[in-house]
Amino acid sequence: MWRGATLLIASAALWDSGALAQNAPGGQDRDLDLIPPEAVTAGPAAAGAPKVVNITGDRVYVEDAFTVTSQRGQAVSVPGPAPFNWQERLFVDIRKEWRLASPLTFTYSGRVNFRAEDDLAFPTHENLINDLREAYLSWQPSGRTYLDLGRINLKSGVALGYNPTDFFRTRAVVEPLSADPSVLREDRLGTLLLRGQQLLEVGSITVAFAPKLYEPSPIYANTGLPSLNPMLDRTNAGNRFLAKGSINLGDRLSPELLLYRDSSQTRFGTNLAAGIGQKVVAYLEWSGGRRASLIDAALRYGRDTGTLPAEAPDVIPESSHASFQSELAVGASYTTESRITFNLEYHFNQADWRNWFAGRPASSPAAGELWYLRNFALDQQYPISRHSVFLRADWVDAFVPRLELTGFVNADLYDGSSLVQLTADYYLSDHWTAGGLITANSGSARSNFGSLASDATFMVKVARYF
Amino acid sequence: MNATFRLATLLVFAASLFAGVTAHAQTATDIVAATDKVRNPHAPFRSTIRFTQYVQGREREHDTLVVFSKEDPATHQFRNLVQYGEPARDAGKRVLLDGGSLWFYDPSSKTSIRISPQQRLIGQAAVGDVLTVNLVVDYNATLLGTEKIVDAGRTERQCWHLDLKAANDRAVYNHIEYWVEQGTFNPMKGKLYSDSGRLLKIVYFRNFTPRLGAVRPVEEIIIDAVDTSLATTATFSDDAFQDVPDVWFQRDYLPRLQIN
Repeated sequence: MWRGATLLIASAALWDSGALAQNAPGGQDRDLDLIPPEAVTAGPAAAGAPKVVNITGDRVYVEDAFTVTSQRGQAVSVPGPAPFNWQERLFVDIRKEWRLASPLTFTYSGRVNFRAEDDLAFPTHENLINDLREAYLSWQPSGRTYLDLGRINLKSGVALGYNPTDFFRTRAVVEPLSADPSVLREDRLGTLLLRGQQLLEVGSITVAFAPKLYEPSPIYANTGLPSLNPMLDRTNAGNRFLAKGSINLGDRLSPELLLYRDSSQTRFGTNLAAGIGQKVVAYLEWSGGRRASLIDAALRYGRDTGTLPAEAPDVIPESSHASFQSELAVGASYTTESRITFNLEYHFNQADWRNWFAGRPASSPAAGELWYLRNFALDQQYPISRHSVFLRADWVDAFVPRLELTGFVNADLYDGSSLVQLTADYYLSDHWTAGGLITANSGSARSNFGSLASDATFMVKVARYF
Repeated sequence: MNATFRLATLLVFAASLFAGVTAHAQTATDIVAATDKVRNPHAPFRSTIRFTQYVQGREREHDTLVVFSKEDPATHQFRNLVQYGEPARDAGKRVLLDGGSLWFYDPSSKTSIRISPQQRLIGQAAVGDVLTVNLVVDYNATLLGTEKIVDAGRTERQCWHLDLKAANDRAVYNHIEYWVEQGTFNPMKGKLYSDSGRLLKIVYFRNFTPRLGAVRPVEEIIIDAVDTSLATTATFSDDAFQDVPDVWFQRDYLPRLQIN
């Protein structure tokens, strides 16, 4: 017994002495050698110094972006001016919140753009464009109740590439620099509305009403944008109502249910997102309701706004029959240990067409209506195809620290054409970022993406954050 | 002489045995629970964390977060609500970390997306490394033995050497090696491993000073073991006990958070 105890003590002592030898002072511990000397000498007094840090969440930055576009011949000629060949854009982007008096706050979000293009005269008022994204008052009458009034970006949805429940997205996107859906959400105008929100222990309830202030207006062209007009005609051309509620069913699932009503339709929606294990999040976003086909809606809108002649013959067959139609985005994200996050989604839009000009005449006068359909879908932020797949990858610290690479492909499952974009951002410092992107529309001349006038876009940019 | 030597040897053995019994009287779980109390106050609080990133030993970038933490009495795990202040491009971004409910909110796109536990670890300033966590809740601990290690200030410390294995899928890491100073229960060092057994990070705790009602570490040094040219310090400041209502810990509160 003593012998056994002696051995145990001896082995424990050996273990200890071995560990001590490995970790002894004098630089023998390789882990310690990995600590930057500056980090130890600086200490908390320097590293966490009472530096003035913006903790309010406000953001102000200036960005300069230069874009060139490569054009190509098309199966359906574009009526009117072609897209620009080059564009230089300098803008100031501000998002700021002021606390007026507790519990009242004012939020402003906007961007002032200076732009020059090969298809724009210089100088002209169109060189200056003010995007008033948000300007609203928030009042918190009690700890859990909020009332907001003003121009508000009201968004919904859990998917990344397409949000069927984001009912206020229509006509709101303004001259984006990127085709990435996450950027499209940033560059959009809010809607003038009144919103109430009640937070509960088990979820929340939100209701919003946006009044009709203007008649529907024609779709804006790139060369016809106003300078200072807030373009409320894009966001408040009809009465709209939204009610949504979420409930927390444990910490794994908190479904959201939505009811939306505008002058022509009622839609229902739901958002579900759940974590699966350490690396996967699965999500589903659906909306549905009775409505007319996209072709019918587009042609009616074109005639109502005077863009298409009221008496023009229907060169494209249309149906005024309304039916229950669904929109769906279902997908999952997966994050690797090497800091890459993939999102793979399937998108379905029952109201859309399979191929926007398949089997239809490509010559005038049909060409005008065909392109109008296309522009209407873009303006309304509808997918270009009934069935599509979206794959996005975001790689933080790609190859070298502080380089972030983002790429996505949006593929039309009907004709195999696709939109591909690769973005690189390098964070030069706490305040400076430089980057660039390449966007390409690939596919045959008679495919959804291959038929677009632009086959590739290149952009370089530099931003200074304050 | 022989008798004296034998007696002395026996005394040494007895003393050693006694010391060993004392050191191991604490179970591994007791030790982890005690060191959790050193790192985390019991009452709800707010803290500011400033990350300083070093690349090849040179200071490069900073991140600042404000964190609201509160222990969930049902699970004994902390719920965390985080807002970014620095760098300026990320100002206003928010993260909810509440058990399995993990949401990221971007005020520019005004959207909240659910994130996976793995996404907590993205970036050098991985919030998963510094958020308030009771390790004893999420890990099963085993005592490997006692060791003398050298801390970040090059001082020898007599430590328990523990092995922590993830007990549920809320654990940030699959496996942690943990060194806790005997007597004080101060955490000294951790080695953090992935599911595949890859060493991801090495963490040193330092500058133990009074904050939030007790002596706690004010600084962590986080070494990226995958790319050892990268290291980050996390420094805690502006601590204050503060009431944090339960209603804050849900997705729809993220856009409403206001920092005074």
